[in-house]
Amino acid sequence: MSDPSPWAIEAEGLGKKYRGGWALRDCSFRLPAGHICALVGPNGAGKSTFLGTATRLVQPTTGTLKLFGVPVSDPAVLERIAFLAQDKPLYPRFTVAETLRLGRELNPRWDQALAERIVRSGNVPFTARIGTLSGGQRTRVAFALAFGKRPELLLLDEPMSDLDPLARHELSGLLMAEAAEHGTTVLMSSHMLSEMEVMCDYLLVLAEGRLRMAGQTEELIPAHLLVTGVAEGDDGVPEELRRRHTVIEARITGRQFSALIRPGGPVPDGWETLAPSMEEVLLGYLRSPDAPGLIADEARLDGPGKAAA
Amino acid sequence: MTRTSSAGPRAAATAPAGSAPDGPTARRTLLHGLPWLVWRRHRTVLRILLLTTAVGCAAFAYERAGLTDFLHTHGAGPAVHGTLGTDFSNAYGGLFRSGTQLMTSLPVLLGVFLGAPLIAAEQEHGTVKLIGTQSVSRGRWIAATLGLPLAVAVLCTALLSAVFTWLWTPARLLVMDGDWLTSGIFESTGPIPVARTLFLTVCGIALGMLVKRAVPAMAGTFVLALVTSVLWSEQLRDRLGSLRGVSYPYDGNGPDLPPGAVRMDDWVSTAGGRLYGYGTCTTGDTGACRAKLGIVNRVTQYVDYGQMAGMQWLGAGILLALTVLVLACVVWRAHRRPL
Repeated sequence: MSDPSPWAIEAEGLGKKYRGGWALRDCSFRLPAGHICALVGPNGAGKSTFLGTATRLVQPTTGTLKLFGVPVSDPAVLERIAFLAQDKPLYPRFTVAETLRLGRELNPRWDQALAERIVRSGNVPFTARIGTLSGGQRTRVAFALAFGKRPELLLLDEPMSDLDPLARHELSGLLMAEAAEHGTTVLMSSHMLSEMEVMCDYLLVLAEGRLRMAGQTEELIPAHLLVTGVAEGDDGVPEELRRRHTVIEARITGRQFSALIRPGGPVPDGWETLAPSMEEVLLGYLRSPDAPGLIADEARLDGPGKAAA
Repeated sequence: MTRTSSAGPRAAATAPAGSAPDGPTARRTLLHGLPWLVWRRHRTVLRILLLTTAVGCAAFAYERAGLTDFLHTHGAGPAVHGTLGTDFSNAYGGLFRSGTQLMTSLPVLLGVFLGAPLIAAEQEHGTVKLIGTQSVSRGRWIAATLGLPLAVAVLCTALLSAVFTWLWTPARLLVMDGDWLTSGIFESTGPIPVARTLFLTVCGIALGMLVKRAVPAMAGTFVLALVTSVLWSEQLRDRLGSLRGVSYPYDGNGPDLPPGAVRMDDWVSTAGGRLYGYGTCTTGDTGACRAKLGIVNRVTQYVDYGQMAGMQWLGAGILLALTVLVLACVVWRAHRRPL
């Protein structure tokens, strides 16, 4: 703790093989501390496996993972992270107060006032049993347990997936406020791309167990262009486009093509260009798992690291 | 406590942040950290167990006073003549029957209701993930999760067994007509209840860990308890001690067994000690048949009361060795494999 590493997560060659094959393969990147990072990918892309390795619930087959410079094989990382699993497991027979006591008893850095405040601001009665709470209230208690731990890194596995829009909005607000107040690094997996765009300033995209994209959104998203023009050539996409730029995804509608590209230079005037939204870029990558990935320099293990430190 | 949820928001909104009228009351408790959590999770079963132990010990201790009086006035047996056996059975037969029932069923109940759901329920509800990401290592969690319930179970069964043994010992020649081996007394006294509790609870834990569902694990543990108890009484128990034999003339009086001995088997034998089944030469010309084989004696095999403690410790040792084996597998698996 005396040596605050600037990297919340450093993964090197991380892989996990199950009986059915590799769930996560050759995953190398780093996440600077202080970001709200989205972990995006289709089902089975390895998101939960990655979160499992970061929370010591899954033992990686290959590679290493460090959180704030501490290898995950060291139980000491448990004090610095909090994890909210997708189904938000809590003891259904415990009352809310007992659930908070669980956090207090098992965590040396526990902040009871903070946890109580989160519970109270949702008007969740302390004497209610967890099993009687609504989904939103239950998630709120799980949040209280996670934030009360005072984690430096908060890992969330689809935290909002089972909530109604109102509760989702309320808890997203809570998450952003608490993370901002305590400078917590957040890594959350989600399918809600439009929500991620609002909340997150860092991106990790996984597909088929491999890392496809990593970096700050403000660096990654502007590196792409949506191009539309007159279709030509065999598959409709002009040869020139393929030669000079990296085509992530291309579609033909009628006599028009539209493509998501990473421009390798200036785009000719004949084509119409648009800056894509984060959702459009992500969808493009998710639809084309074979397209070349994009790892920002900052997210590379051999990137300009020591300068930041 | 009686506030309804509709009143909750208003009360919470008006309450100043620090005073927390509905906040969790910081009660002073004995247990902290992981032991508190384990106690809280299993408090119903553990409280019932502690209560049963207290009531059982008190009842046994209370009955012992009357029993001592009875033995003083009527004699401690063995009940070979007169009405001593009937009188004792009328007065204390029920007590010892229910006592042995409690002592023999308690390990099974603990295996089913404490052992089987211990880890299986955590896996079923996903709370393994919750605890696995608090600031406690897997090793400490396993130690507390296994250690506290097993320690309470051992303490309770050891106490009950000690008091029940203390109650039974002076009346041992009268209880169940002096049969301490097959009547349930053997499994209800000395180290055996503790060993059975440990064995069945640990088997329940292991089974639950493999099945990962509480209810099937409980059913499986119950079946396992039945199977092992049949194997125990049919195959293992009689072999724990070596049989002793006493021979007496074929037509004479006997056998003259020491008090407290349990008669196991009867034979007929030649003068040289060669044994034949008890039914040999009982039909046809019995005299000629016996003369031909040279049968002159009857032999009774028995186990002596003096062997009981040794047999119990040997049996308990076997169960404890198996327990350690299964427990090692549980700890190893919990450490190495994600639950």
